[in-house]
Amino acid sequence: MSDAPIPETTPETPSGPFVYDYTTAPNRQVVLPKTVPLPGYRTYVAEQKALVEAEEAKWQKQLADFDTAKAKAEAEGKDAPKAPVKAVAKKNDTDMVFPAPTEAKDPTLLHLVNGLGDKVEEAFEQAGELTCQVAKEHILEALRLCREDAQLKFEMLADETATHYPAAQGFAFSVVYHLTSIARKKRLRLRILVPEGFEPESATQVYPSANWMEREIWDMLGIRFANHPNMIRILCPEDWEGHALRKEYPVVGWGQRDIDFREDRGGMLNRIAMEKAGQLGINLKRPKAE
Amino acid sequence: MGVMQPSALEQILITTKVEKVMNWSRATSVWPMTFGLACCAIEMMAAGAARFDFDRFGCGIFRATPRQADLMIVAGTVTYKMAPTIKLLYDQMPEPKWVIAMGSCATCGGPFDSYHTIQGVDKIIPVDVYIPGCPPRPESLFYGFMKLQDKIMSSSLADRYREIFEEVG
Repeated sequence: MSDAPIPETTPETPSGPFVYDYTTAPNRQVVLPKTVPLPGYRTYVAEQKALVEAEEAKWQKQLADFDTAKAKAEAEGKDAPKAPVKAVAKKNDTDMVFPAPTEAKDPTLLHLVNGLGDKVEEAFEQAGELTCQVAKEHILEALRLCREDAQLKFEMLADETATHYPAAQGFAFSVVYHLTSIARKKRLRLRILVPEGFEPESATQVYPSANWMEREIWDMLGIRFANHPNMIRILCPEDWEGHALRKEYPVVGWGQRDIDFREDRGGMLNRIAMEKAGQLGINLKRPKAE
Repeated sequence: MGVMQPSALEQILITTKVEKVMNWSRATSVWPMTFGLACCAIEMMAAGAARFDFDRFGCGIFRATPRQADLMIVAGTVTYKMAPTIKLLYDQMPEPKWVIAMGSCATCGGPFDSYHTIQGVDKIIPVDVYIPGCPPRPESLFYGFMKLQDKIMSSSLADRYREIFEEVG
C-alpha cells in the first residue's frame, strides 16, 4: 500500500449533499489488490529462482525428516519407513499460459538501450513486444531519442496511459508510452515507475498528441505532468474530487452522482400545498380524464 | 311555451370548456427539443423519420432551442457532467413543459451503476412519462408519447396553482 491520500470523507460518514450510504452496501466496498502484477524480466527470473529454491528446500526437509524417522525406527527396532520420492512437477496443460518475459534480443531495443546507457532500468521482450523501462527523470530524453534517432524513428505516440499499483514498494504508478514507427513497422513500449506526488516531464514537448492523453491520466489517476500546456481534467468535470481509476476509488464514487436538484422528491411540499389549499377551500385535486 | 328549437347559431357551434380546448391544442402540437444523449437518440431519430413519422402526432418539429420547445425527450445516459446542462435547458423551456425519460439509462441509470452516471434523470428534473427499453423501439416512444397526450388532456388549470403552492411551501 502506497502513501496514497485517503479521502477526508470516510465512507462511513457521508457528509454534505452526498447521501449514498456505503454501510448498507458492503458489496461496493473497495478491495485493494495485495500483489504487484507488474511484468518484468528481472522479477520473473527472481520469481522462478525463488520457486526452484522453495522446491529444493522442501525436498531437503523431506530427506532430513526421513533420516530422523529412520534413526528413530532403528533405535526402537521397528521396520524402516519408506524412502521419500521427489515430486515431479505436474505438466501444465492449460492454454492460458502467461507468456514469460525474455532477455532483450531485438536490434531496435538493443540500440535504444545502448543509446540511453545507464538511464535504462530494465529492457525485455514479452510475447514479441519490446519493453524498455527507463528512469523516471529521463523519460523525455528517451522519448526524444526514440523520435529523432535514425535507427529508431518512432514517429507516433500511439497511446499513453498509466496503472495504479497500491501494493507496490517504492512506486505507486506505472506510466507507459506506446510508440509506433510507421516507416520501420515497429512498436515499442516505454515505461516509467512513478511514486505518489512525482511529476514526470510531459511528453507533449516531443509528441504533441500526448496532450489529451496526459490530461486523461491526470483526470483518472492523479499524476500531474510537468511543463504540460494545459494540465486540467478532460473527462470528469473540473470540480470533481478523486481520481476514478485509482484502486482505492469505489466504483460508485464518493457520492457525486447522488445530486438532487429537485427539492420535493418525497412529495412533502405537494402534501403541504394540498393541506393549505384545503384550509382555504380551494380544490386542487386533479380532475379525471374524460 | 312551445318546444325550444335550437337556433341556427347553436347548430353550427360546439360548446366546450376553455380548459379542454387548451389541452387539446397543447396535446396535438407538442414540439420536442432535439436532445439525444446516447444510442436512444438513434431510435428517436428513426421515430422522427419517414418510416415511423412522429409528425402524425403533431410533434415532429424538433426544435434546436429550448425556448421554442414544449417537450424534452431525454434519450440516453445522463452523466454527472451533463446534469447541470439538462437542468439549465429545462429551465429555459417555456411553460407548460413536459419531460419524457426515454430508455433504461434516463429512467434509472441502466447498466451504468458507476460514479459518473446519474441514476435516473428524475433526480434532476421532473419526469412525466418513463419509457423502458434499451433502447426502446419507436413504437414504444409513440406509446409513451400517447400516454403523455392523455396526461396533457387530463391536466387542469389548477395545476398551475398547485405549483405556486409548492413554491410557497
